[in-house]
Amino acid sequence: MAVIVAIAVVAVAWPFLSPERGAPEQALSPRDRNRLDLMERRDAAYAGLRDLEQDHRTGKISDEDYQSERRRLRAEAAGALRALDTLDSEPDTSSPEE
Amino acid sequence: MATVGSALLLLVLALVTYATVASVLAGLRRDRRLMRSAGNAVMAAFACTVSAVVLLEIALVRHDFSIAVVLQHTSRTLPTPYLLTSLWASQPGSLLLWLTVLTGAGSLVTLQNRHKNRELMPWVTAVVGGCMVFFASMATIISSPFERTVGVVPRDGFGLDPSLQNPYMAAHPPALYLGYVSFAVPFAFAMAALITRRTDARWLASVRRWTLFAWASLGVGMLLGAHWAYVEIGWGGYWGWDPVENAALMPWLAGTAYLHSVMVQEKRGMLKVWNVVLVTATFALSIFGTFLTRSGVVDSIHSFVQSPVGPALLVFLSIVLAFATTLLVWRLPLLRSDHKLESVVSREATFLFNNLLLLAFAFVILWGVAFPLLSEAVRGVRSTVSVPYYNFFLVAFGLPLLALTGVGPLIAWRRATPGSLWRTFRWPVISAAAGGALLALLGLGSSWPGLTAFSLCIFVTVTIGLEFARGASARRAIAGGSWPRALVDLVSRNRRRYGGYVVHLAVVLLVVGIAASGAYGSVNQAALKPGQSMQVGGYTLTYAGMRSTTGPNYVDTAARLVVSRGGSTVGTLYPAVRDFTDHSVKTQSNEVDIRHDLRGVDVYTILQGADPSKNEVVIKALVNPMVSLIWLAGLVFVLGAAITIWPDPREARQLARRYSTALAKEA
Repeated sequence: MAVIVAIAVVAVAWPFLSPERGAPEQALSPRDRNRLDLMERRDAAYAGLRDLEQDHRTGKISDEDYQSERRRLRAEAAGALRALDTLDSEPDTSSPEE
Repeated sequence: MATVGSALLLLVLALVTYATVASVLAGLRRDRRLMRSAGNAVMAAFACTVSAVVLLEIALVRHDFSIAVVLQHTSRTLPTPYLLTSLWASQPGSLLLWLTVLTGAGSLVTLQNRHKNRELMPWVTAVVGGCMVFFASMATIISSPFERTVGVVPRDGFGLDPSLQNPYMAAHPPALYLGYVSFAVPFAFAMAALITRRTDARWLASVRRWTLFAWASLGVGMLLGAHWAYVEIGWGGYWGWDPVENAALMPWLAGTAYLHSVMVQEKRGMLKVWNVVLVTATFALSIFGTFLTRSGVVDSIHSFVQSPVGPALLVFLSIVLAFATTLLVWRLPLLRSDHKLESVVSREATFLFNNLLLLAFAFVILWGVAFPLLSEAVRGVRSTVSVPYYNFFLVAFGLPLLALTGVGPLIAWRRATPGSLWRTFRWPVISAAAGGALLALLGLGSSWPGLTAFSLCIFVTVTIGLEFARGASARRAIAGGSWPRALVDLVSRNRRRYGGYVVHLAVVLLVVGIAASGAYGSVNQAALKPGQSMQVGGYTLTYAGMRSTTGPNYVDTAARLVVSRGGSTVGTLYPAVRDFTDHSVKTQSNEVDIRHDLRGVDVYTILQGADPSKNEVVIKALVNPMVSLIWLAGLVFVLGAAITIWPDPREARQLARRYSTALAKEA
């Protein structure tokens, strides 16, 4: 039983005894969160376009509905991409959140 | 051995307490070393819990009756497989199993997220750790599996409950516990997302797989239990709306609702608050189910005797609900929907209706379970809620849900036009109407719920078939190749969608099995002397005398029944009464005998009693059409769940690319 306790203590203490691997933990800045949100909006629009394509090919929606929804999703993706470009072109003055 | 086992559990309690505190500090300070230390503590706790299980299994196999659970639930003549499974026959042993699965889940989550979700993981570990602290405390302080026998240790044990001496004892409880316990992980991720304000898509992807696993395990556990009841308990049925059966069904229904509504959040950014509520409700119902089984407040074949575990579980459940509600209210502004519902004729609306029906059904089941308890607490009189109450709502909610199972996959997101609706649904509707008319002509119109259920099953099956056919056709149009190749590619590229359709097919099989056996079965009971016959559902059963067989800890007395149909003998059945020889008190069980045929019809026989003075036996016989479809549905369900759970490398790469681009520090 003493051996088991010793092994458990070593396992718990090991991260403090071994050399630190990788960079220290850093917080997310508001800019990072914003970029993440925009990328998700972009990827959600892309996923929506793929699903739309599948639904159109399998006859669930008419040509008219397909064109209308495709315009809307492409506009969403384009909006997200423009916002990302604007974000990346601005200087980063934000600090990690507390 | 008991001393070492108790010491191991105490060490587990210390480790999980450290893990919980350390992970909270790691989250507040963003200390990666402290987080790794907390993760190591969880894994060490799992190793110690497994060691405790091994020790208890050794004690069981070696008949160490100095340990109370070994004395109370085993005997020297109990076969070894049942010695091993008796670990979870007792309250303390089953708590140890709960703790083992929970620490195992915590360890797996730690390993899966070594290099991702770094902001979430301290809080995920803290929440799961809090659950571990609770269950470790119960296993150490309130209900220890290593508690010693009081007084003189008898030479032999009291034996295992006869109904637990069945191979399903090895599978049913572990499957259920995997389900109940694993729902802690999605709950923990949801709470961590609220704490860190990281309500983005990555945690949804992590939660989705764990929720699917928990939901599938619980579903499989329930079906295993239903089959066990069918072959062992001897009343001819497979689901009795027992409170503890209902306790597993309620979180499963809430989990089903969540799995559908989370798709709406992913596609349309809606129902965010609703999804947090559902994840919390699912976990809370799992705890409530555990309370029902362990507190002894309900009369059930599944219940343990009354114990202090019950009040402790209620306190824990209250803490869980208070914690989740506080977090949800605090972070409400983060959970605003990105879009509104644009049309009631849309996939979003279909999923919303599906959710409302599922939760309404869960609520009426909860009321049916809780009402007798409340009635006793308030008036001192325990009322009963019987089977017709549940069956009424099963039909009332089940049929619309079945219809939505067919509508949802074919209807478009955002808005469907009347033209597209007719184009999409005309063949399923025509097939259902024609099929229903044909079934009515064949004589199945005697039960309108049964006929409606069959018609809707045709509707859903045709919609699923059309989805696969159209999808494969579209795939061939793009990539060429054979139909089988196109089908494989289709499923591989859209695992969630088509895995979900396979699960829907399992639901169809389940409904056909339940409707057919419930609405179109036959039953008869008769007292027979040798040579006499009885009729049931087109079969003749002729009693041909008794036979006796001896097992390791029992003696079976069986009636020999010759089964014939249309004048031809088709088989022989031996329903028996089993007398256990290792119990100090006379203990019997019914050992039914069932004949399955290729038409899917079961002839189910029960030896109700024997009167040697009159040389006669009392036989109860049932003819259950299509029950075997229910068990087939279980296999199809597992296949569909496996397809849906299987990781999609493209999704994983996309998420990793997105996060490494957005957050270079996170990768």
